[in-house]
Amino acid sequence: MKDTSRRGFLTVAGVGAAAAGVAAAVPSAAAAAKPPDIGDAEGPLVAYVTDVRTSEVALLVGEREVVVHDKDLVARLNHAAKG
Amino acid sequence: MSSHREAPEISKDPVADNTDTYAFVSPDKPNTVTLIANFIPSQIPEGGPNFYEFGDDVLYEIIISNRGKAQDDITYQFRFTTVIRNPNTFLYNTGPITKITDATWNRPQTYSVTRVERGKAPQQLASGLLCPPVNVGVRSTPNYAALAAQAIYNLPGGRKVFAGQRGESFHVDLGSIFDLGTLRPFQNLHLIPSAAAAGVNGTQATNVHTIALQVPKRDLTVGGHDPTDPKAQDSVIGVYASASRQRSKVWDDNNGWQWHGPFRQVSRLANPLFNEVIVPMAMKDRWNRVDPSDDNQFAQFVLNPELARLLPVLYPGVFPHLAAYTKPRADLAAILLTGIPAGVVPGFQNFTGTRQADLLRLNLAIPPSANPNPLGLVAGDPAGFPNGRRLLDDVVTVELRAVAGLTIPLVDPSFSPDGAASLIQDGTALPPASNNLPAFLNTFPYVPLPGGGYQTMPGTTSP
Repeated sequence: MKDTSRRGFLTVAGVGAAAAGVAAAVPSAAAAAKPPDIGDAEGPLVAYVTDVRTSEVALLVGEREVVVHDKDLVARLNHAAKG
Repeated sequence: MSSHREAPEISKDPVADNTDTYAFVSPDKPNTVTLIANFIPSQIPEGGPNFYEFGDDVLYEIIISNRGKAQDDITYQFRFTTVIRNPNTFLYNTGPITKITDATWNRPQTYSVTRVERGKAPQQLASGLLCPPVNVGVRSTPNYAALAAQAIYNLPGGRKVFAGQRGESFHVDLGSIFDLGTLRPFQNLHLIPSAAAAGVNGTQATNVHTIALQVPKRDLTVGGHDPTDPKAQDSVIGVYASASRQRSKVWDDNNGWQWHGPFRQVSRLANPLFNEVIVPMAMKDRWNRVDPSDDNQFAQFVLNPELARLLPVLYPGVFPHLAAYTKPRADLAAILLTGIPAGVVPGFQNFTGTRQADLLRLNLAIPPSANPNPLGLVAGDPAGFPNGRRLLDDVVTVELRAVAGLTIPLVDPSFSPDGAASLIQDGTALPPASNNLPAFLNTFPYVPLPGGGYQTMPGTTSP
């Protein structure tokens, strides 16, 4: 991976973490009716888009994992990843 | 080797590589069971200055299935924490270590033990337990036996635990077996022949890291009963060990590797050599990831093992009966996947039900043998492999002979094994208890003391 794209990826990861927090607070129409609880952890959070087509995002925080389906979040991440 | 570097992915992650698992009724305390899981293969004793240690980022587990469903009914979890006492030195130890609490040990490692029983809240049995330092040498870790003995702890409920470096108990002629299936004592009969020779133990003078746990039998059984009837199915438990890592690993420029998310299994082990020589290479990593309860997907490789097809090819004319045998290997399926039902071996069973799963199956009601035979059950010693596994069991010979057809008559009396099936071996044995070579201890944790870095002489090599 080129350094420029690596930086881009890290930026996206930061956007993903922030966006995931927004999504958890204000569910989009595509999200589940009640967002899963990821607790009040203050440490880093990894958002892993397991499948862009299904809008599935795994949120990894501490030793826990929360899976959400959020089409809007995935679309924004996907858009950001294209630089 | 038994499960040392047995799959492509785990061979790159030795800290999480489960090398051998043992389960046996404790010979000196027959109301208890000793469970041993070894990790971090092929350690050269002189491997400093960054000597071997458990992974702080790995979840180590010893798992018991006691309801016949090959599920995790009772789990013992081990989590490690390492600190650096003096950050301003490159030294592992800044002077002799005579007590495991000595400040001269610059990189002490502690651990916790947690018991998880299905349907109940996890119970932490202990925390802050010290591992011993590795066996550095006569100046750094003098009287290593006494030093390591300080790291044997009593736990609540009549349990004992030890975690630290130990000598390798598993023996195999690694160099020859993976050179096109050569067995040195019989290599004169090999497709590419050479003069017969004695076996060479490829694991000699290496160390591993051991987690050993001794618990009352009732700690492992359904309802906490004390099993006394060898014929009862609830006298039998299934055992495996595993190592797990968190799902995500991210490089942080300030803090190095950071792990996130729940733990996922990356290595497991029950029956020795299962993943090593039964499972095809393309599926070995997957095998490490899945639970034993999903092992029916691998049953085809037990019922029609590649090694049984190779033996007649590699040793022309030596295994004609095996070559002609085309039925599924129900004998191997019983030994490795379900346990041996009653009526197959007189007076013995370790059947856990029809669910196919790679588990060490131990009939807890069978007492330890006064004169243990390394060939175990096939030699008339029901306290040995494949009834659990003891440190002294010669599992390579047992499994070689079983694959070669020696155990087929147990389920198919019409089959007559080839004469070689009861003779083949790799020609290795544990070194005798002398010259600082491994010797089993008579008491917990039984595993040999590790070879010392200063004391161990490197071997020879040849192009």
